[in-house]
Amino acid sequence: MIGPLRLVVGAAGGVAAALLALRLGRRGTPTGTDPAQAVLVPLQRRYGRGFTFGLLGASLGVLLLAYAVVALLLVGTGLWGTNIPFVWGFDLINYVWWIGIANAASLFAAILVLRRHGLRTAVNRFAEAAALAAVAAAALYPILHLGRPWLFHWVLPYPATFQVWPQFRSTLVWDLWGILSHVVVTSLFWYTGLIPDLATMRDRAALRGRMLAARLYGLAALGWRGSVVHWARHQAAYRLVAALVLPMLVSAQTIVALEFASTLVPDWHQGRVPLHVVVTGLPAGLGVVLVLAILLRGTLGLQHLIDDADMRLLGQLTAAAALASLWLYGDELLAAWLEEDATRQASAARILGPYAPLWWGGVALTAVLPQLLWSARVRRSAAAGILIGLGAAAGVWLDRFALVAGGLLHDHLPRIGPAYAPSGPEWTLLLGTVGLFATALLLFARTLPVVSMFETRHEEDRSEGA
Amino acid sequence: MTTIHGVMAEFGSDERLVAALKAARAAGWRRMDAFAPFPVAEAAELLGSRGNRVAWIAITAGLLGAGIAYGTQWWLSVHDYPINVGGRPLHAWPAFLPATTIVAILWAAAASLIGMLVLNRLPRLSHPVFAAPGFARASEDRFFLLMQSDDPRFGAAAATRFLESLQPLRVVEVPGQVPTPGPPT
Repeated sequence: MIGPLRLVVGAAGGVAAALLALRLGRRGTPTGTDPAQAVLVPLQRRYGRGFTFGLLGASLGVLLLAYAVVALLLVGTGLWGTNIPFVWGFDLINYVWWIGIANAASLFAAILVLRRHGLRTAVNRFAEAAALAAVAAAALYPILHLGRPWLFHWVLPYPATFQVWPQFRSTLVWDLWGILSHVVVTSLFWYTGLIPDLATMRDRAALRGRMLAARLYGLAALGWRGSVVHWARHQAAYRLVAALVLPMLVSAQTIVALEFASTLVPDWHQGRVPLHVVVTGLPAGLGVVLVLAILLRGTLGLQHLIDDADMRLLGQLTAAAALASLWLYGDELLAAWLEEDATRQASAARILGPYAPLWWGGVALTAVLPQLLWSARVRRSAAAGILIGLGAAAGVWLDRFALVAGGLLHDHLPRIGPAYAPSGPEWTLLLGTVGLFATALLLFARTLPVVSMFETRHEEDRSEGA
Repeated sequence: MTTIHGVMAEFGSDERLVAALKAARAAGWRRMDAFAPFPVAEAAELLGSRGNRVAWIAITAGLLGAGIAYGTQWWLSVHDYPINVGGRPLHAWPAFLPATTIVAILWAAAASLIGMLVLNRLPRLSHPVFAAPGFARASEDRFFLLMQSDDPRFGAAAATRFLESLQPLRVVEVPGQVPTPGPPT
């Protein structure tokens, strides 16, 4: 089995860490509730105990990641629990899961930018950062699962000395472009919005006599001087990239799902897989953004910038995404029932077989639990928000497990040997990517403004004028 | 003789900045720039820019990227290195589409950032306006109007007199290079 105890311990650890961060942050961070000060956190010399402990914990995760990667490179994928017919295990499960988180976070940020919504002044910057960190964690997996990761450049179309080109009718090529585009476009989205704020950080650092910080921020700001003509082009570029993020994330996730659908495995060979993977990924990412928003409000004193109306919108969006997922789970059952015999048996094996708790757990945590967020009382509770947000993320992970491993239970040939169960090194790698995600977000919060400063200024200016 | 980049006035709100820009245009000034801590669409329009060109650059780059992606797949699979896999068509356009779509998005997104930077003549390490006293607040809460010295009717005294008539918070001379002449706005 997959070690339910380890799952429970891991989930409880995540919740405990989030609540601890909230508590420590409340006590330790020397920031007041003044919003102008709160977004200037990067220029403070001291950052409180919560940050130190958080960074220590997250760095341990990165060390684990390094250990898992080195072990994998030295020994090979034999370390993992994958074996025929279970050729994909944690590598694909976690990859699809991280991509789902990245997608929903990007989707959320892009919609806010395009709708010019008030909430984006606070949450979109951090949602973009979360998306970027999640993409970085996701992008590791496809390279590491190649078996000989150092030869990954063979999927690039370059004039090699052995005169062989990549096979463009293979899904492996889609994967390369899908992941590459996801990483580049997500980074661009984040960086484009950041340029004017980097200029602000440069000027503030210089005013405080922090010349090294001012130089570094200045280099990253690319010489931004706030000309209104530059602003007009910047806004056009920012909104364009936001608009491009929408088809990008749908097609990137679709490409992953198409790789399943284009195999001959009965349970995967269905046209509905891309839609299922795109939509059920949303509660995970929105749940993660919800948790981050609660943590930011609690630890950095951003109640003024992320106010109750923002939290209501975020909570209701998560609940709505969960409702859409519920619809797709129903569609999954209906499709399995209507499909031909082989597909029906394969789906039944996944939903009722040895991995059944995963599938049903996924439905409960992803689609049912977030419905609580329709209630205003639940939304007001930080602890409930964290529990539901992390629950949704965990639920999508269970769903991906049920899809990747459970889908192979009932293939065209009788299966010999045990079902798939992840090995220790696979768990280490997963924990390591979680550490990478957390480290990236903590460093981001430490060095860059967590909310968009120029949009906040704009909003405040407007509300004063009104 | 020291050259002068222009004369700059500081304002406390974007409404004052836009009013000043309108007055300057009405008085016949053509070579100007304005600085603000957040986008002021009206001011950008008065200076003759709407950011449309970024969109055209992105669309062109996206189409070019799609063409190159599809063309590469087609040429390599059909002409340069054809492999017969169970008699399946060499020109397998459905299999070529996922990479084509996503590469188009990649090119368009990269082009919108790069296009924006090129049109803005960024990155650059320094600029004369940064030397103006108090300019650091252009990234916080102040709005600046710069009369550039490449305007045909520019004179430091005349520009200062004109700006002071707009009742700014202060007027300063900005030393430095004469701005490189661009198209009149």
